Amino acid sequence: MRTEILAFLKKYDFSFFGGALAIFIIGVLNLYSATHTNPSVAFQNLYLDQILRFSVGCGLAFGISFIDSKTMFRFSYIFYIFNILLLMLVLVLGQKGMGAQRWLVFGPIRFQPSELMKLSLVMALARYYSRNNPEKIMEIKDLIIPGILTLIPTILIVIQPDLGTGLLLILIFSIITFYKRISYRAILILSVIALLAGSVMYTFGLKDYQKRRISTFLNPQEDARGSGYNAIQSQIAIGSGRFLGKGFKKSSQASLQFLPENHTDFVFSIFNEEHGFFGSVVLISLYVILLSRFIWLSGSVLKFFDSVVVIGLMSIFFWHIFINMCMVMGLLPIVGLPLPFMSFGGSSIITYCLVIGIATSISNSRNLF
Amino acid sequence: MFGEEDLIKIHKERSLKINTIVIISFFIIILRLWYLQIYQGEIYHAYSIKNRLRKEVLWAPRGQIFGRGKELLVDNVPRFDAVLIPQYFKNKKETMNRLSSILKVEVKDIKAVLAKNLGQAKYRPIIIKKNISLKELAKIETENDFLPGISVETFISREYKDQEVGAHLFGYISEISSQQLPKIKNKHNVTYRLGDFIGQAGIEQEFDHYLRGVNGYSFVEVDALGRKKKYINTDNLFKGIEDLPAVPGNNIFLTIDRDLQKAAYEALKEKTGGVVAMEVETGKILSMVSTPAFDPSQFSRGLSSEYWNNLRNNPENPMRDRTIQDHFSPGSVFKPFTGITALEENIIDHNSHLRCHGTFKLGSRTYHSWKRYGTEKVNIVNALTQSCNIFFYKVASEMDIDVLAKYSQSFGFGKRTGIPLPREASGLIPTKLWKQKRFGVPWQLGETLSCSIGQSFVLVTVLQLANAYAALANEGTLFRPYVVEKITNFRGEEIKSFEPKVINKIDLNSKTWKSIREGLYKVANHPTGTAFWRRGLGNQMAGKTGTSQVIRANADKLYTKCINLPYEHRHHGVFVAFAPYDNPKISVAVLVEHGCGGSSAAAPIAEKVITKYMQKYLPDAYEKNKEKEKKQLAIIYKSRQKKKEESANPATVE
Repeated sequence: MRTEILAFLKKYDFSFFGGALAIFIIGVLNLYSATHTNPSVAFQNLYLDQILRFSVGCGLAFGISFIDSKTMFRFSYIFYIFNILLLMLVLVLGQKGMGAQRWLVFGPIRFQPSELMKLSLVMALARYYSRNNPEKIMEIKDLIIPGILTLIPTILIVIQPDLGTGLLLILIFSIITFYKRISYRAILILSVIALLAGSVMYTFGLKDYQKRRISTFLNPQEDARGSGYNAIQSQIAIGSGRFLGKGFKKSSQASLQFLPENHTDFVFSIFNEEHGFFGSVVLISLYVILLSRFIWLSGSVLKFFDSVVVIGLMSIFFWHIFINMCMVMGLLPIVGLPLPFMSFGGSSIITYCLVIGIATSISNSRNLF
Repeated sequence: MFGEEDLIKIHKERSLKINTIVIISFFIIILRLWYLQIYQGEIYHAYSIKNRLRKEVLWAPRGQIFGRGKELLVDNVPRFDAVLIPQYFKNKKETMNRLSSILKVEVKDIKAVLAKNLGQAKYRPIIIKKNISLKELAKIETENDFLPGISVETFISREYKDQEVGAHLFGYISEISSQQLPKIKNKHNVTYRLGDFIGQAGIEQEFDHYLRGVNGYSFVEVDALGRKKKYINTDNLFKGIEDLPAVPGNNIFLTIDRDLQKAAYEALKEKTGGVVAMEVETGKILSMVSTPAFDPSQFSRGLSSEYWNNLRNNPENPMRDRTIQDHFSPGSVFKPFTGITALEENIIDHNSHLRCHGTFKLGSRTYHSWKRYGTEKVNIVNALTQSCNIFFYKVASEMDIDVLAKYSQSFGFGKRTGIPLPREASGLIPTKLWKQKRFGVPWQLGETLSCSIGQSFVLVTVLQLANAYAALANEGTLFRPYVVEKITNFRGEEIKSFEPKVINKIDLNSKTWKSIREGLYKVANHPTGTAFWRRGLGNQMAGKTGTSQVIRANADKLYTKCINLPYEHRHHGVFVAFAPYDNPKISVAVLVEHGCGGSSAAAPIAEKVITKYMQKYLPDAYEKNKEKEKKQLAIIYKSRQKKKEESANPATVE
């Protein structure tokens, strides 16, 4: 019995959990530093809440790591359809939160189906690509079905309205599709179409506050009085960290409340202010190591479905990290995407844990089963 | 066909490219970090040290509320609080001593306040004294240099000029609570935030989206002593930073007459109840008062716990608007509608005479009259004048409840009038179907009898009564009552105006109108009328008294003096009237809870409101009528005197 457990532990891949835990510890300390001066006790205790959520998430993830990928394959479409129904349910009876309908409430649990949709989409696309001419280099006409699979949830999420998550689904789709091999000609054509569609949508489809965010990004000084204020304060926070930072709990931007949302979207700014360029390079390295592990895994699994799933999961992390960092540094508009394991956020941290759980399961399937 | 392993192999090329994309992406991020933190690090560091720029909310002044004579009824008044900002608080002992002498607050009290707020962020102002005087304000400002960390915060307080008068109509404002926020977020395209003030009742609530302005913001610089000054932009980084001025809210002009409002409140304030007065020809509300009331100004100042406890523990519940939020059995004021049904459905005609005295037996139950009458028979006019129950019982015994419901509903009973004010009660007009649904048992004829005199299931609001009697006065036009005449923006431009709106035209036989109106006239203008001695000379008022039983009365109780009953068992007094009879302009409904009689408790209040109206709007007619009625009264007195003498000296007659 004992040897069995030892053998199991030897084969079990703890690298994903390990990487996540390392980043999470940094994240919790940073969250504590960002909120401990807040006059509201609720804010001061956010980090405890975050630890609880992470623990619950890891518990779930550990459970999921024992589901083998064949089962995931079998249920991928059902899971996807179920998730679409949940998104529709949100639109019908969702609770209003932050001016948009994103939440479903089951007793004490509030959750966002749009978070889960990231996973469902990865699964559904992986199943489709691994079963329909997996060896073929795709042209535009081959993208019709996967395109529809992506657009249905995207539209449902954008009308919530949650533009950030909607666009994220398209970005996840594009990395998976790139991996599945699409011709470069098709990529070029799609880029042109995306550019045109983007301009049309900007003109006709965006709400005022969404437009304002984008124009603020393009020219922060112009609307510094409104949302640009956040962007500038964030840059001051980051820049003022210099090489080694001001030190733990020493962020003046956070403690003086110059920076709003410093526990969600702008945690990276606080981290930079306190730990400087050096600290950020360490943090980014941790993220890169974690992402590389995903990419490595995609080439060492036995099933093509698994491989596509792993790339999809990697892309979820990658886009969150990249977009969040860019937006707080003034390289992208503020779209409200959290930084994995660093930002406070209920549904999102559970999603990240689930990503870790699925990746671990796929990794284990190489040698455990 | 490829095997799974081959598939993965041929995709390696793409995964390597993805890896490259990831690396390049993070390289860009590190490059940007290097630019911000190393290349420009010193500049940003300098910014962060002197960064005392803060975005502060400029609260938009809330719209003002005016009466129909353009008198300012609700206004905003700046209030000043002395605050202490711990971050800049220095020379503590000296500063506290100086502050204590200026504000006349003991040092130990200041210390206590500070101790209470010890855990707070240091830049957060702590309120030392609320609502300081202008003198104290001036002292703090002039001695500013010796008071590090002490400053004055301005706060706009909502002031209701007439305090308790019309409190329920205006409502009040207070901070949005966190439980409330999710429910009202984004209502009327207004984004409400925690900490915002919002109308919580009455006009303040219903018209909140008009009254509230749009907050602006301004950038202020905080100096080393914690004083704020206007931010003057010298840095390139903040180029283009600009204040956004607040847009004041819209002003509301009411149909309410301030004098009538005051008269109604004065008459009612010692009692518990409600008064509604409205224009007969438009549906405009002239006065709307409920007692006991509260002072709405207290709420925007931050309610003292003492004041709040007093309100909460008052068994009469002063927060309730008794004019629209409560419904009750109307009692005899409902009889005109029973009379109309009987006449229109030919159950009786204008000359049908029925007895008033004695009792009316239906099955095993005996129905009583409300007082002991003489034995003469009466027609519909006199039945109303004397409020004769037996007459209406007899009529009702031949009446279908659904038909009575149809006629009363046409006068607006049983549903909300639609006045734009929150939480209006609908009242109740029972039907057979309703009873079957509600209780699962069929309708009883006995219940029709009770309903015919406004008891049993019939429930009305004060507003519904005033509105229905306005329709009696103008012979058939039922208006939607309204309180807001127009809304203008802060520049004075009209943005919305409200016109009278007819919600029903009641088509009755002209003889029916005549009989019913005559009955109501005689109530107040014939010596046998129940309100004759309360009419007020010159008003030419027509009306009806009513007594709403709080508990079911048996024969004994019925004739015990109401005033001898325990307070909560006493009847409600109701009186509804319109005036002047020849050319009706105003209708008034009065409810006095536990006031015993409609005639003794409620009618005098209506009389005062109507007299005020007549004196203000129809002074000529008022004086003329007064002279005429005085003469009539003199004749009545004379004949009474004669009768008295005759009965005192029967011998001389012989």
